[in-house]
Amino acid sequence: MELTFGTLCGGGLLIVGLFLLYAIMTGSRSLRNYVITRLLLVLPMIWILVTLVFVMMRVLPGDPISTRLKPGTDQATLDRLRERAGLDRPIYEQYWDYLNDIAHGDLGVSNNVEQDRPVTQIIGRRLPATIELVMPAITLMLIFGIAAGALSANKHKRTLDYSFRITSVVAYAVPIFWLGLMLQIVFARQLEFLPVAQRINPRFANDFTHRTNIYLIDTLLSGNGQAFGDVLKHLVLPTITLTIALIGVFIRLTRSNMIEVLQEDYVTASRARGVPERKVVYFHALRNSFIPIMTLIGLQVAVLLAGAVLTETTFSWDGLGKLLRDGIALRDYPVVQGTVVVFAITVGVMSTLTDILYAFIDPRIRF
Amino acid sequence: MSLFQIVPDRSQVNKQEIILSIRDLSVEYQTRRGVLSAIDTLSLDLYKGEVLGLVGESGSGKSTLGKAIMRMIPQPGRITKGQLIFKNQDLMQYDEKQMRDVRGKQISMIFQDPMTSLNPVQRIDNHIIEAIRVHEPSVTKDEALSRSESLMERLGIGRRRLNEYPHQLSGGMRQRVMIGLALALKANIIIADEATTSLDVIVEAQFLDLLRELKDEFGLTILLVTHNIGIVAELADRVAVMYAGRLAEVSSVDELFHNPKHPYTQGLLRSVPNIAMDSQDLYRMDGTPPNLVMPPSGCRFHPRCPHVMDICHQKQPWLVRVDEIGEGDEQVGGYDKHLASCWLHQEYQGSTQARRY
Amino acid sequence: MATTTVEMYVKPRTSIMGTIRKTWRTWGGVSLVIAIILAILHLGVKLDGAKGLLQIWLVFNVLFATALILSSQTVRQARRWHGADWWLAMISGLILVLFIIIGIIPEYLAPYVYDVEAGPARLGPREVPANYILITRVELPYENFADIGYDINTGELIERTSNAKSIAAIDEKANRIVGQERDTAGIKVEINRDATGLQPIEALNILSTSDVTADRGRPLVAIVGEESQFKDLVSEYPNLRIVGTVGPAYKGGFLFGTNLLGQDVFSRLLYGTQNTLMIGISAAICSCLLGIPLGLISGYLGGILDRVLSLVMDSLYAFPGLVLAIAIAAVLGPGIGNIILAIAVIYVPTYFRLVRSQTLAIREVAYVEAAKSLGATNPIILIRYIFPNVIASVVVIFSINVADAILTGAGLAFLGLGLPETVPDWGVDLSKGSQFVLGGEWWLVTFPGLAIALLTLCFSMLGESLSEILNPRLNRA
Ligand SMILES: Nc1ncnc2c1ncn2[C@@H]1O[C@H](COP(=O)(O)OP(=O)(O)OP(=O)(O)O)[C@@H](O)[C@H]1O
Ligand code: SF4
Ligand SMILES: [Mg+2]
Repeated sequence: MELTFGTLCGGGLLIVGLFLLYAIMTGSRSLRNYVITRLLLVLPMIWILVTLVFVMMRVLPGDPISTRLKPGTDQATLDRLRERAGLDRPIYEQYWDYLNDIAHGDLGVSNNVEQDRPVTQIIGRRLPATIELVMPAITLMLIFGIAAGALSANKHKRTLDYSFRITSVVAYAVPIFWLGLMLQIVFARQLEFLPVAQRINPRFANDFTHRTNIYLIDTLLSGNGQAFGDVLKHLVLPTITLTIALIGVFIRLTRSNMIEVLQEDYVTASRARGVPERKVVYFHALRNSFIPIMTLIGLQVAVLLAGAVLTETTFSWDGLGKLLRDGIALRDYPVVQGTVVVFAITVGVMSTLTDILYAFIDPRIRF
Repeated sequence: MSLFQIVPDRSQVNKQEIILSIRDLSVEYQTRRGVLSAIDTLSLDLYKGEVLGLVGESGSGKSTLGKAIMRMIPQPGRITKGQLIFKNQDLMQYDEKQMRDVRGKQISMIFQDPMTSLNPVQRIDNHIIEAIRVHEPSVTKDEALSRSESLMERLGIGRRRLNEYPHQLSGGMRQRVMIGLALALKANIIIADEATTSLDVIVEAQFLDLLRELKDEFGLTILLVTHNIGIVAELADRVAVMYAGRLAEVSSVDELFHNPKHPYTQGLLRSVPNIAMDSQDLYRMDGTPPNLVMPPSGCRFHPRCPHVMDICHQKQPWLVRVDEIGEGDEQVGGYDKHLASCWLHQEYQGSTQARRY
Repeated sequence: MATTTVEMYVKPRTSIMGTIRKTWRTWGGVSLVIAIILAILHLGVKLDGAKGLLQIWLVFNVLFATALILSSQTVRQARRWHGADWWLAMISGLILVLFIIIGIIPEYLAPYVYDVEAGPARLGPREVPANYILITRVELPYENFADIGYDINTGELIERTSNAKSIAAIDEKANRIVGQERDTAGIKVEINRDATGLQPIEALNILSTSDVTADRGRPLVAIVGEESQFKDLVSEYPNLRIVGTVGPAYKGGFLFGTNLLGQDVFSRLLYGTQNTLMIGISAAICSCLLGIPLGLISGYLGGILDRVLSLVMDSLYAFPGLVLAIAIAAVLGPGIGNIILAIAVIYVPTYFRLVRSQTLAIREVAYVEAAKSLGATNPIILIRYIFPNVIASVVVIFSINVADAILTGAGLAFLGLGLPETVPDWGVDLSKGSQFVLGGEWWLVTFPGLAIALLTLCFSMLGESLSEILNPRLNRA
């Protein structure tokens, strides 16, 4: 079977599906019920999010047509355009069409970003880039965030704790796009050892087959080491930027969860049983505080997507975030709405998955 | 007067062998308001095989003493001076690693709340296996498991339960698991810090029965920290009464109940409903527990004491023998002796035979 | 997330909140009324001097409040208990006060007005352009650059400098004169760039001997040159004189450089404080005003209303804030009000969730039950008993929230959804400057970004330290 982005996604879905199936089959009855109700709740949740988008974009004063045009356009043109876009019809009809289209996977047609191309198609082409950016960032966030949070909690109110806390607040407070720009200035412009922007040097762009459009995978599959290195180099600055943007909150959350767990009686009790301190802290306490952290990762998806928009814009990274920005800059209303809807669906699905995973890990919910 | 129907069986107690000797122990906490002296120069001996009840009002330092014995005083506290002589070794000289071998293996602690003392995401058997294997790394998982199974059987917890998570067990069961954890390592001393407070009366009674059986069976020495004088009467051989970080009185249970020497003990006993003769007599102690950041001078009880004298303000009374000192009675301390720290028994305070403990 | 004990809600009538409440009773009301009257006089009646009075009044009150808080017993005591956290809170708080004062009275602090072209464009921080002098013939009536443009003769400017930036500056100045003249008299000034290659002496020789009265040709009427190279030489030509210097104003250069229009970056930062703070604080206040009452009512009454509200709020909360703000701002269009609204919407759920969960907990606490049994009505219970307990944690969240709102506002500006370009605002300045990052004008991006980072850092550090100080759970150990 040909490896494409589609099959990659399919594989991912398959794994998730198998996991859910496993959870349903092996879990106790209450876990099964939980998983099933939670899965059934995905649709209402997505419906609410999508409706929210509709309310924001159509019901609030101002409308897509008039904001798109230069001021001073005459009323007749405005009305004509509105009519063509169906904005003159009653709001509930518009709403119905909107939901209907989304249900059919139709997000409209782009009018400026890529003339007359279906938005779903554009999104499908940009999605791999976002995934390529987001995955390493999440990985780094988990590794460093949890390590720093745990260390900080273990040394509560001592120098190490304060330095990690200040680091995390600084990481949180720095505007992410500014951070990206500064990294560009220092590493790309002054030191000149990393590329400024984009995903790949155009020189290499055609040296390998674009199967999945996740360049790291594509270059590897083509066995093109040089291109792979180039992709990797391009990835460094955006990944660092996005990771720093994510990590501030994450360190804090890990830390406060961990502090609470370290004050639990069972931690003292296992110390009293002579369990070595390191095992108490980095095995028992960390593992237990990881359970609430699981749900926080679900919420981090929101931060991640917002961060992706800014990072991608800063580094001209052709992903969904930049698509959103392009949509705004070119006043391409269907693109903006389509991207936001896709974000909404992602959030809905991710929060469901983390909730289920949470239930699966925490025995207190499982039974 | 036979208020106490159950007379503890003291046959197991070795009246000569001191298993743990606490010498001049002081613990301080660094708090927002200043240095809090939670335990002040406290000395206490624990005899092998005895059950020593430790009573005192909230904040008197009972838990702190228990934790100090395990050298587990949490930040921002620390042991400022004193010795913990255990099996002829001073635990204070041990490093962290040696101390870990003592914890659980030699001295074990059971905490008040069984609901929170077990790791909620760890199965019961894993708790026990971990505890065993921490101290005896050579034991395989299977051996540890079979050992814990037979032990738990003894404690009345079925094999099936071992596979479950703490929240699936009742409070009484969990407390039994906690004991099982202590027994699995064959600990010599068990410090039970209000281990029954959160159990209901019936479960509490069952638990105490179990504890008594186990004590004889395993030759345990138990430091029973409690608020409940009734439990002390039922289970303990001796009682130590703590007040504001110091010992007020130490004696055998009978002696203490019938002949309390320290005004605080007297008040304490009179304020317990079923010991006070009739309910009208029920006594309410005046005043509040002292602020340990700035403890009262001299005797720490003096602001609340009905018998307060001038000297009480100025000089700290030592813990000395207050019972009849027999002719040629060389050994001044000891298992059978009645000790108190109060100027009312001044004749002993200054006497040459008296020794401070 | 964090499960919290009841004790936390009953106790926090302490420290900072207590001080603020007391101050508010005795002083806050009067002060606010005066401020509002002054604001109406200034904005509505447009009374002269009202603005100055308002500014003085606000600054005074900020200082007064700061002094009150600093001198309060609880704050001083907290220092002993919370060492490092106290200092963090204190330092960030004081920097914030500074920012706020700058935001109130930027015109008294900034060296230039924000939209004035104070110097040559794209000047680096502290970069001093060479002083330029205008040299012309004694008999010619030129007194400054503009005069050359007014002259009927076609003028030529000779530049001689090695500094590319200065050339650009002079070019621009000359071009502007030309533009001006086209409007009025249609006269053209040519700039002779060939002359750039000349040595100073050659140039002066040409000027000194050129036939300035000729109607035809291109007589050289003036030279612009670097002061250091020309000044001494000029005295040797009796028929030449120095008319004036270009840019005596930027002796020390510009602290943070100048932007593309020659505006002082530093002054724009000072002026921009106001809008940036305004967006952040107003958005957070709007979210509070919506989120707190909804949370109180939802948590207290429960039932269907609670379910529906929670569902909507949770969905909103899960949504990426910036993306939501983008969607709203894209629809509403530019304008400070719209931006504030767009940002405010995304933080309503934060307050809602916080207040609701606390209300749920406090609702069950004994003294609320007692009040109920004594016949207190729901609104009274909510306002008198529940609200005061909830407010302490709101203060912590509020501070962090303002930081977040400022970041979101800057993000919107960066994406082109910010304030109009004419308005001074850090986000907008940063966004404009970001196009020149690779051209080498690093200061256009660095300083506005630093300002945003410092401001948000202070707000979040304040919130973070306060939460550490006020949260009894974290202090237990
Ligand atoms: N972690 C700590 N930090 C500061 N002070 C502490 C800490 N733990 C205990 N204390 C103080 O030490 C004193 C003794 O406390 P301890 O917990 O030992 O009392 P207790 O007799 O066990 O009381 P209770 O019967 O309520 O359990 C108290 O005044 C208490 O305030
Ligand atoms: S020493 Fe004095 S104050 Fe203390 S208990 Fe005895 S009589 Fe009372
Ligand atoms: Mg205790």
